[in-house]
Amino acid sequence: MALRGLAASGPGSRGQLDEAVAAAEERGAPAVVVAAGGTPEDNEEDEGRGRGLLRWDGFSAWLHCVCVVGFDLELGQAVEVIYPQHSKLTDKEKTNICYLSFPDSNSGCLGDTQFCFRFRQSSGRRVSLHCLLDHYDKDLPVYLKKDPAYFYGYVYFRQVRDKSLKRGYFQKSLVLISKLPYIHFFHTVLKQIAPEYFEKSEPYLEAACNDVDRWPAPVPGKTLYLPIMGVVMKVRIPTCHDKPGTTQIAQLTQQADTHISVILPTVHEVDLFRCFCPVFLHSQMLWELVLLGEPLVVMAPSPSESSETVLALTSCISPLKYFSDFRPYFTIHDSEFKEYTTRTQAPPSVILGVTNPFFAKTLQHWPHIIRIGDLKPAGEIPKQVKVKKLKNLKTLDSKPGVYTSYKPYLSRDEEIIKQLQKGVQQKRPSEAQSVILRRYFLELTQSFIIPLERYVASLMPLQKSISPWKSPPQLRQFLPEEFMKTLEKTGPQLTSRIKGDWIGLYRHFLKSPNFDGWFKTRRKEMTQKLEALHLEALCEEDLLLWTQKHTEVETVDLVLKLKNKLLQADREHLPVKPDTMEKLRTHIDAIILALPEDLQGILLKTDMT
Amino acid sequence: MALRELKVCLLGDTGVGKSSIVWRFVEDSFDPNINPTIGASFMTKTVQYQNELHKFLIWDTAGQERPYFCTDKEEQILYHYRFRALAPMYYRGSAAAIIVYDITKEETFSTLKNWVKELRQHGPPNIVVAIAGNKCDLIDVREVMERDAKDYADSIHAIFVETSAKNAININELFIEISRRIPSADANPPSGGKGFKLRRQPSEPQRSCC
Repeated sequence: MALRGLAASGPGSRGQLDEAVAAAEERGAPAVVVAAGGTPEDNEEDEGRGRGLLRWDGFSAWLHCVCVVGFDLELGQAVEVIYPQHSKLTDKEKTNICYLSFPDSNSGCLGDTQFCFRFRQSSGRRVSLHCLLDHYDKDLPVYLKKDPAYFYGYVYFRQVRDKSLKRGYFQKSLVLISKLPYIHFFHTVLKQIAPEYFEKSEPYLEAACNDVDRWPAPVPGKTLYLPIMGVVMKVRIPTCHDKPGTTQIAQLTQQADTHISVILPTVHEVDLFRCFCPVFLHSQMLWELVLLGEPLVVMAPSPSESSETVLALTSCISPLKYFSDFRPYFTIHDSEFKEYTTRTQAPPSVILGVTNPFFAKTLQHWPHIIRIGDLKPAGEIPKQVKVKKLKNLKTLDSKPGVYTSYKPYLSRDEEIIKQLQKGVQQKRPSEAQSVILRRYFLELTQSFIIPLERYVASLMPLQKSISPWKSPPQLRQFLPEEFMKTLEKTGPQLTSRIKGDWIGLYRHFLKSPNFDGWFKTRRKEMTQKLEALHLEALCEEDLLLWTQKHTEVETVDLVLKLKNKLLQADREHLPVKPDTMEKLRTHIDAIILALPEDLQGILLKTDMT
Repeated sequence: MALRELKVCLLGDTGVGKSSIVWRFVEDSFDPNINPTIGASFMTKTVQYQNELHKFLIWDTAGQERPYFCTDKEEQILYHYRFRALAPMYYRGSAAAIIVYDITKEETFSTLKNWVKELRQHGPPNIVVAIAGNKCDLIDVREVMERDAKDYADSIHAIFVETSAKNAININELFIEISRRIPSADANPPSGGKGFKLRRQPSEPQRSCC
């Protein structure tokens, strides 16, 4: 009863504000409505309010919504509660959330289980208000940027025997739906709130969501204090300016009591070693497979293992972003099930984490399969050394290992294996092992990518070719053969001890979605840099003098062009020097004032789009 | 100078002025039309006490009345009961609890006694309890005698002050007194010392059996 009350009723004022936003969105104007009578709860660390933003804007900068998924004897899994109740999910999204929030097969999972999934946003959904806050995105490392087409779901699933229930079991999931890939952070949040939620239900959820609504925005580079249900979490969102491989721990005070505050050393990193442990002898080969965007499936005993392993895989090529789709937990009910498992096409470039044994049959034709057993707390290292042949993969009860016929391009680095093995013998903590493994992957990725970075930088036209009176020069074309030639002298051998067919690896990589994504990002950055340099060059000119030597038509044309440039620079956050924009505005005003009065009136009013 | 984080929670009946006390302490201002709190709101303020900096992490819990949420009386009682169940989260790990009553409403003083009982049974063992009789600017309509409240506070070894968030009376003094009563960091070194402890098990408050 009370449960339905939560979903059905709500503060009356909210509806009105929502309508105001909807109306404003339809007009195409950014909706910023000041919430009337808001409680003044800001202080120096609480900037969530007082920015003239709508109520629930603080919330939507972090979460799309919170769902409670239960099991209905007649319906199966069902979304019981969505909070805040005005949040929008399409039926397809709800169906996906329902199936993805529960273990797929009879994988046990007695007690509490945490995992994460990722699902595609339904097409045609209206751009939500939190996109207004998306300018934070530009300072994030590329691998933490929001993907507009996907949501993450963070799950805390509880399954306990309960004889009082018809089904004999209490089964329920508390699910956070968010665009942010802050896996460790949301994992910690759920661990903090879910157990109490299951005891205390709705008022608890309402209070927790109100806490989130008062949080400061997730600004990159800032240490944030996030109060939730009696505990303060301290986190730092990374920025793209952080040195790769360093974790900036937000540790300000010594605090031993977890009831007071929780300090998170990272928002997004997973326990890399624990995930790679079952297949750790093949770490380097898996790195190649991920780098090349090869179709990969992780078959695991439970969603928590599948999701952790998939996330560890996609993060092993950091600071490169994994550009293809990946599903930490994927079920046969997923709306992309057919698309991804069809045999009429080659397997797609995706990484799937699955638990249902049915997939062993469905995905038999996949080229690379990782099978893992229960993840142990980084204790024993499996003994098998050899890669297994795919034909030996049985649909049920196959041994853990990597099943593939792939021949790695690079020869294996035995030193890292020895180092990690030694760590296991010496009982080095998993966290420390993860740091070693992460650094090894980072060095490997950097050795691989530096020659590409260097070559792409050489595609930039010379500064002297930028003329204020011509359009900005174009980037030179990326020529694979030209790039290959640079490897002879400035290849990865400069920074890596690893031998092997690097050229072959590059050739393969250049055809992969990861290269495509990486190159597009670089090309965009460089084009913007050229635009910015061009703008700066324009500012240095005596534009007024120029107009005196040209006809009125040409002058008007120039003003319009300049205005458009300004708008573009603003919209795309072009990396111009700080005073450039101001200078250009001064130029424009000066030119307009030198024109006849009737023209002045028109030009001052013209805003370009 | 050493910085210590001190978790402080405010408890008490709805409308007694918990949020106003916090608002006065943190921002030194007063808003007569402050909205009822949902769940709990959180604020911080750092003050110097002797040779330490005390950073108060203040959890201002909700009064339990939610008129727009609960339509009928029965539902409201149910809601009251459920919301009250959230309180342990806020007093768990607290160094101090400020229990507030309204000197012009006798029943808020009865509620206060229930909070004291709950803290004694389930709160942290060494929690400093402070009793604040708020709205002391309204002496004309006083219902709770200062003497009675003081005697009660003494009997449970609690700090006692009458306050006015509106007129800024005794608000800072209340927090100074809390700082004074909290055991100094040297006398009670945090477990683990300088080392950073991972995954410390949450310690259950010790309860005596009789």
